[in-house]
Amino acid sequence: MIMDTQLASLLTAGALIVIGIFGTLFLDNLIKKVISLAFIGDGANLFLIAMGYKAGGIVYIFLPGMSMSEFSQNAAYPLPFALVLTSIVIGASTMAVMLGLIIVLNKKYGSLSASKILGDN
Amino acid sequence: MSTENLLIPLMIIIPITCALFLNLLHEKSRVVKIISVIVALLLPTIPLLANYGIQYFGGYAPLAQNPTIATGLPTFITGTALNIFHPAITYVFGSAQKLMITILGFVALFAIFISLYEVKKPSGVYIYLILMGVASVMAMLLSDDIFNLYVFFEIAALTQVGIVLVSKVKNNYETALKYLIVGSIASPMLLLGIALLLGVTGNVNITDIVYSIKTGLVDPHSPVLLMACSLIVFGWLYAAGLPPFHTIKSAMYSKALPTGAAVLQAFSVFTFVALGVIIIRIFSYLHFAEIFILGISLIAMVLGITMAITQTDFKRLIAFLAVGELGYIGVGFGLGTVFGITAGLFQAVNEAVITALLFIGFGTIMYKTKETELKKLGGMLVETPKSALLVLLAGLAMAGVPPFNAFQSKLMLVQSSLNSGLPEVAIIMVLLSIVTFMTFMRAFHTIYLRPKPADLVIENENIPKVTIVAMVCLLIICLVFGLYPQLATNYLQGLAMGIA
Amino acid sequence: MNIYDFILKKIKDVKMETGDEGPVTNISATSMLTAEITIISSLLIGVVMLRLLNRALMMALIVIVFLIIFMAMPIMPKLKREQNDSLATMSFYVIVALAIIVSLFYWGNLNV
Repeated sequence: MIMDTQLASLLTAGALIVIGIFGTLFLDNLIKKVISLAFIGDGANLFLIAMGYKAGGIVYIFLPGMSMSEFSQNAAYPLPFALVLTSIVIGASTMAVMLGLIIVLNKKYGSLSASKILGDN
Repeated sequence: MSTENLLIPLMIIIPITCALFLNLLHEKSRVVKIISVIVALLLPTIPLLANYGIQYFGGYAPLAQNPTIATGLPTFITGTALNIFHPAITYVFGSAQKLMITILGFVALFAIFISLYEVKKPSGVYIYLILMGVASVMAMLLSDDIFNLYVFFEIAALTQVGIVLVSKVKNNYETALKYLIVGSIASPMLLLGIALLLGVTGNVNITDIVYSIKTGLVDPHSPVLLMACSLIVFGWLYAAGLPPFHTIKSAMYSKALPTGAAVLQAFSVFTFVALGVIIIRIFSYLHFAEIFILGISLIAMVLGITMAITQTDFKRLIAFLAVGELGYIGVGFGLGTVFGITAGLFQAVNEAVITALLFIGFGTIMYKTKETELKKLGGMLVETPKSALLVLLAGLAMAGVPPFNAFQSKLMLVQSSLNSGLPEVAIIMVLLSIVTFMTFMRAFHTIYLRPKPADLVIENENIPKVTIVAMVCLLIICLVFGLYPQLATNYLQGLAMGIA
Repeated sequence: MNIYDFILKKIKDVKMETGDEGPVTNISATSMLTAEITIISSLLIGVVMLRLLNRALMMALIVIVFLIIFMAMPIMPKLKREQNDSLATMSFYVIVALAIIVSLFYWGNLNV
């Protein structure tokens, strides 16, 4: 293995966030802007879940027959997994509202250009 | 301390449940009215009646306080820090939370009452949004769990957008979308900061994070923690509407209905407090964090108030003033002394009340004329003498004129900055108070005192009685805190001593 | 040309650029002037706070800031133009602020 899985995930998360920020700043199409924002959110989520990674870890369910010390030494950290689910749901709902607003504004302006719709008004 | 206090979770659960229920019934205006009035009355009364205490959601008290579970566990759990960590979402209800949640409840109560009686057919959706927002900001104030706080932070952001969307003010959709886009850059950064804290300390409970840092379980000066601090501070700037978010925040206020703007600014003030307290609790050992908070607060004051002077729309003017006044709270936090933080918290409570009063007061002009451009208004003193007097008193209160409450808190802020050896901060604060007053007087003069333009049409004759009553009640709160500041500071001092 | 006329002219220029209609009234000119004075005085008082860091640096900076302000005289119209409601400006400043905050915290906490 060339690179540790956790490090690879963290680097991917960083790349996603940077690409997302770049897209949000420089793309004019509103739909593309929203996709870039999704990149930022996904990067943060990936980062969060990579925090719970443990090399060679086992699923954090205490099964009968397992010794307690073996479980406590090998189980992965469960908290980030639970948190990231909530965070994904929040991101999805925010995006739904954004896309809904874009539909309304597209009807009003007949365009998807951010500089035209979201200019100084 | 009693852990069996059912009223603490009910503070959050009642508004959320009723909000969801109201959303379903939004065509039946009579039922909506009755339920809204009952819930609105409950908002400030539950925190007043509740006892101080700690609530553990979905878990149990720390093992050290919980011998029934702790017996029989191996020593690598009970013998280490795990023994005192909080394995639950913890809500802490202390005296400071009691005062702030009650004040938030009062602002929401008046906003809901006015919105119910100003329109013929009350909208369940609007009340739903206000209640949802109030519940989430209350949860942010109560929560001792940083991820739970993030969840409610996002719900609050969405409800703020919703409050702007239902207002029917021109260009509100554009402003809402801008707020969402800017927010979608900022809130993942806050999440990233939380993820870094989780990665370093393995915890999301703030008390446990502070314990890990203070006792040296983690290296306090590790670069990851510095990064986490900066990202959480960035999220805080967004939540509170400090620069660079002051333009979008003030645009949001100005695109909402007056009652909506009143609750929106209360949300910002208390979100500011909730996140600011957390930043100071976790990162107060980093001297630079306090310097930064002080600096950004001064910038917010200067930019907010100077932008307010140059506005031509009175809603935007008040909105920028509201953003500028936030800086005063931040100065108290940035000074970092017990007295300074108490003053900052006191200023937060005062500002939530005064700005709500101003938004509602100037809202009566919008109610009568449907006009917000300053240059098209004039001569309203004859039309609305009562509300003009109340607005004038509110403006005096905002500028910090005795005997109102902001005088006491600004005086405390000036004293604490002098005590900390920073007279310059005191000078800037006094200077900007004067400019605030001048800005307010300019708007007041243009709207009420100069001759009425010939083309100004009065659309609604009478202002609803409930609006005037609400304004008088808010003014009474201002006067009481102004005459007896100990009433508030005694409640707030405990929290300030705990974090300074 | 005295300073008042100068500022009035600058405000007119800005208004033309932004496509804002309506005459420059007495009130709007006074407001701009107040904002200008407020911002200059708070900036200068703010610089005095650097005395906690280094007294010589503070004196030098006060002179420099004063000169810069004097050269760039009506600051407020420029500042107002920067704080407009367009999404492009807003998100630009948000990203700039993020970069500044992250680097400041990293540098500041290791050095202050």
